[in-house]
Amino acid sequence: MSTVTSIATRKRRNWHDFVPSEIVPFAVGILLWQALSSADIWPRVLFPSPLEVANAFVADTLSGVLLSNLWVSMKSLLLGFVISCVIAIPLGYLMGLSKITRNFFDPLVNLLQAIPGLAWIPFAILWFGLGQGAVLFIIVMSIFFPVLHNLLTGIRMVQPVLIEAVQTLGAGRAAVVRHVIFPATLPNLMTGIRLGIAFGFRSLVGGEMIASTDGLGYAIFNAQQYFQSARIVVGMLTIGIVWLAMDRLILRPIEVRTTMRWGLIRDGLERS
Amino acid sequence: MSDILVAKDISKTYFDEVEKDNVVALTGLSLSVRAHEFVSVIGPSGCGKSTFLRIVAGLDRPTSGEILVSGRKVTGPGADRGMVFQEYALLPWKTTEANIEFGPRLKGLAKAERQAITQRFVDLVGLTGFEKKYPHQLSGGMRQRAAVARVLANNPTVLLMDEPFAAVDAMTRQHLQEELTAITAHERTTVLFITHAIEEAVFLSDRVVALSGRPGRIVADLTIDLPRPRKWEAVVRDERFAAYRDQLTQSIHSSGAKAHA
Repeated sequence: MSTVTSIATRKRRNWHDFVPSEIVPFAVGILLWQALSSADIWPRVLFPSPLEVANAFVADTLSGVLLSNLWVSMKSLLLGFVISCVIAIPLGYLMGLSKITRNFFDPLVNLLQAIPGLAWIPFAILWFGLGQGAVLFIIVMSIFFPVLHNLLTGIRMVQPVLIEAVQTLGAGRAAVVRHVIFPATLPNLMTGIRLGIAFGFRSLVGGEMIASTDGLGYAIFNAQQYFQSARIVVGMLTIGIVWLAMDRLILRPIEVRTTMRWGLIRDGLERS
Repeated sequence: MSDILVAKDISKTYFDEVEKDNVVALTGLSLSVRAHEFVSVIGPSGCGKSTFLRIVAGLDRPTSGEILVSGRKVTGPGADRGMVFQEYALLPWKTTEANIEFGPRLKGLAKAERQAITQRFVDLVGLTGFEKKYPHQLSGGMRQRAAVARVLANNPTVLLMDEPFAAVDAMTRQHLQEELTAITAHERTTVLFITHAIEEAVFLSDRVVALSGRPGRIVADLTIDLPRPRKWEAVVRDERFAAYRDQLTQSIHSSGAKAHA
């Protein structure tokens, strides 16, 4: 199978063998953007060109502003993520495995998860003051519920026959949890974590705009005050790129090594 | 005779959530299985044969009656009653060999011993070369072979099988049936096998027990006297095969009125 394809590609190499597939959509996007800004429909301050943004990016990188803001934001996100998971994951398994715990927490969780993380901004400021403490709280409120909710869904979806099968092989409760429940819930947990980080990321930026004095969100907000629209775009793009990098370098590899290898999820609807 | 599995007067009534009614699945079912015996329980769908197997496995509780395995009362699932399910029930996150090694590992056997057992059963069910594959990379027939190996590697007192070949195609099914008779004869395994396919039951078994429609009562208990090892080609030409099949078919069909043993 693999020999056949490699011979075929050696004979006829297409352009897309050399260029990562992601380049194309991005290139098209940038070209379109450049065309629109060259058309001079809007004033520069409302619609900066890619070149201006690139210049601002270089300037902010060299001055260290971008990196220090990024560092502040990432620290909050990471810390918020760790705090959320440390509470949500044990609580999720506890709720999934014990009816008493589930019956107690289910109504509370259902109510609280409907409240967007950003709705906590007023209290975050009242309790923690302006700064990354408030931001951290908002992030935790944003990551916690998607992680918990997806984990609970995962526990509900565990096939009873898998549990029964290992029970007839001599598995007790601990072995069932370790060998069936944990791995079976991993796909949903990963979904929850990805969603949680995405939600947390949004809250991070929103929270920093209102409740903080540094970080990427604050930088965007601050640039607007001075009509530095290219720097706004720099901030926004950095956020997008950082998310993409996290997804590709951390989250995707974990998924590929676990759930895709087990045949539990596929990349798309195509047959492999 | 040593009865290794004894079911005493098993009744089961459960509440059907959809129908909002009590359903009597089994009433006063008694059955004994001797060591090394291959016993099939057949019956129309809904007769409670799977419920009976689940009670033997300890996955369901009987409303009344008790199950004894090697003289000990069944109170829950255990390694002495390994079960093979229609839907394979292999752990998707474990390779073939890790699935088969699962029981011995739970028992705390040393690694070398575990590996020797695993390899023996991998070879026995013909999965040599597929040790490192995950279940989703195997065909339906291979998955069921792995599931059988997984239970046998755990050395159960009795092997329970719940319509294990219902989900595979007809050709594969005949192969698996022939392999199963060879393997259980070789390992001298005691088997309690559930199926709705009469011919399958006759082909595989030393004894076939037929249940009536719900609630399931025993309407026939037939010793199958066919030579082993069994191959489909030879068995279908044996006059006794057709006779057993017809007798069982009749017992089930006329079970509404009279019960005979």
